[in-house]
Amino acid sequence: MTNLNEKKAELINLQRNNSSPTKKDLLIEIQNELNKLSLPHSKTEEWRNTNVNSILNHKYILGKKESVPLKYVNTFSFNEINADRLVLINGHFSDEYSHFNKTSGIQMGSIKKNQKSNSFKKYYGSTNLYKSNFFAAYNSAYAEDGIFIHIPENVIVEHPIHIVNFIYGNNQKTISQAHNLIIAEKNSHAKILTTYHSLSEDFTFNNVATEIICSENSDIEFYVFEGEGDTASIVNNTYVNQLNGSKFLSNTSTLCGSLVRNEIHIDLLGEYCESDLQGIYFPDKEQHIDNYVSIKHSKPNCKSNQLYKGIIDNKAETVFTGKVFVAPDAQKTDAAQSNRNILLTDNSKAHSRPQLEIYADDVRCSHGSTTGQIDKEALFYMKTRGIPELKAKTLLMTAFIGDIIEHITVKPYRDYVNYLVNKKLKGQEPESLCHVKICPACEK
Amino acid sequence: MLKIIDLKAEINGKEILKGINLEVKPGEVHAIMGPNGSGKSTLASVLAGRDIFNVTGGKVIFKGKNLLEMEPEERSREGIFLAFQYPVEIPGVSITNFMRAALDEHRIHKGLKPMDAAEFLRYIKEKKALVELDAKLEGRAVNEGFSGGEKKKNEVFQMAMLEPDLAILDETDSGLDIDALKIVANGVNKLKTKENASIVITHYQRLLDYIVPDVVHVLYNGKIVKTGGKELASELENTGYDEIKNDADNQ
Ligand SMILES: Nc1ncnc2c1ncn2[C@@H]1O[C@H](COP(=O)(O)OP(=O)(O)OP(=O)(O)O)[C@@H](O)[C@H]1O
Ligand SMILES: [Mg+2]
Repeated sequence: MTNLNEKKAELINLQRNNSSPTKKDLLIEIQNELNKLSLPHSKTEEWRNTNVNSILNHKYILGKKESVPLKYVNTFSFNEINADRLVLINGHFSDEYSHFNKTSGIQMGSIKKNQKSNSFKKYYGSTNLYKSNFFAAYNSAYAEDGIFIHIPENVIVEHPIHIVNFIYGNNQKTISQAHNLIIAEKNSHAKILTTYHSLSEDFTFNNVATEIICSENSDIEFYVFEGEGDTASIVNNTYVNQLNGSKFLSNTSTLCGSLVRNEIHIDLLGEYCESDLQGIYFPDKEQHIDNYVSIKHSKPNCKSNQLYKGIIDNKAETVFTGKVFVAPDAQKTDAAQSNRNILLTDNSKAHSRPQLEIYADDVRCSHGSTTGQIDKEALFYMKTRGIPELKAKTLLMTAFIGDIIEHITVKPYRDYVNYLVNKKLKGQEPESLCHVKICPACEK
Repeated sequence: MLKIIDLKAEINGKEILKGINLEVKPGEVHAIMGPNGSGKSTLASVLAGRDIFNVTGGKVIFKGKNLLEMEPEERSREGIFLAFQYPVEIPGVSITNFMRAALDEHRIHKGLKPMDAAEFLRYIKEKKALVELDAKLEGRAVNEGFSGGEKKKNEVFQMAMLEPDLAILDETDSGLDIDALKIVANGVNKLKTKENASIVITHYQRLLDYIVPDVVHVLYNGKIVKTGGKELASELENTGYDEIKNDADNQ
């Protein structure tokens, strides 16, 4: 444990004090919580199958406000969708590369610039993310910047909002933190796309926290694309509060990375909410990809759905934990959960852990989990029609995760994910389309 | 076209095919009958290239080539088609995409360009009409949630799409209602030319009333124990397999 305490102290010492945009009294509360929390270790239940040592075993410097060549920003943008683009480099907002305000009335930009706004003060930390989650607390206490989006009542945002995240070590092992706050007021609707890319060979750790407030009857689509390189790890915490009649969709695609830990916590605080949480993961080296999904049904008449699918190749390992908590008075809850994995090699591994805690009696809860090899009977059948093995496998696997990709309503983004998945299925590196290695010497 | 010489095959050390001899010439229809478990589907699977069966002896020559050396997909492109006794579900892959992929491979093999989208749609429509495949099935995944009869129709539809030289129909009649049986048999007959051939595995005379065989074989315990003309099928319908079994067992 001393080792862990030392590590924790080291992480905290890295950070600058007093540079968080959080109000003083809240900051003190967050720091108090952080003091009580330990780094996850082998006995931490929520981290049972994920060892954070691969992240902790490095000495980092704090991510600087680096500048990266515009061409990379463009590579990872979707020009066709005419999106509002918000760029974070090492967690710092880039004024240079961000361009936004295509839809009037929306307030967006860096949290630093919006820290005086009432909604920032009202909602920062309001999802309680800093309680009982070390990385989220660490982020809440020390993240200096991030993205702030406020969508006023009745506003339908036509263009997707694209948050582009770069981590760039510039020859040093780098830790980066961003704290995002997204507030959807009553009856508003928006599609938010967040993509993660790494730009260096050095070991990097991105510790992200996003809070999303879905007010009454709002409808938010939240897409996450993780395409960081082999030396980039990410802990990505998303906390969502849903009020009456709100709809929230999250759709996550994890294609690369070193250690990836995604946590989504949904707090259904109102009635008649819908929550649809989907994800695909497709590691093909020695990656470790962990998706932790937790839904708390506190009120009656809500519907939630979890659907995660993985294709696991080579020596990669994945974890899916799906938690569903149904409070005693959350009657008429409809909660479904499904996790399916295809293992492509004997050395690949998938852990699947459904955790249902149901305290109401009039509910519909289902869960299912399958992990297996690619269906040999189906492969043979396809081959007898003249389709070669590789093509047959590609068709089967494309179909397997395709239904999740199909849920993406932003077409250029959906095409991008499809394109990369197909490339990977053919055994090709998606490389330069997910992450690149900048060579500073060559750039000059 | 097809010459099977003393073919032996086993699974998990258990011999299933115990020396099969069979020759099929272009334009011929052969029927294979025989009691349950005698090895009919195994023979069909071995010809299609199923690798769970271990060929321990014999030879199979197809259009002058050594069939047993080819991968299943090569056999298909060379002109072998197996209509499965139990068609397999291909979750998430639509019939259209599936057939597109298959047909492209066949055309490339023949040195033809893949069809363009319009051409393909016309072609698929024409072939669907042949077996009266329900339009509703088009967008659905291959065999997923299909009824028994729909699966069988889908097999013959695929056969029509790929126009094989040798079609092996493994109990394609079972599970079909009377009308569907006529439609499917009709489809098979329409696809018949002087150059192609088929092997029809069945338990029932009924199918052979529509698809009239030139030769009927009885497979029992891994061997062809009797061969005759189309009248053999109706004989068996009346007498059953007892006599044949007894004769074979006493040898
Ligand atoms: N995968 C397998 N593993 C073990 N035994 C098998 C396998 N497939 C077939 N067999 C055995 O081989 C023998 C022949 O089976 P096959 O399916 O070829 O019979 P069939 O003549 O087609 O019967 P039916 O008329 O019932 O379709 C049976 O005893 C069967 O149990
Ligand atoms: Mg059979």
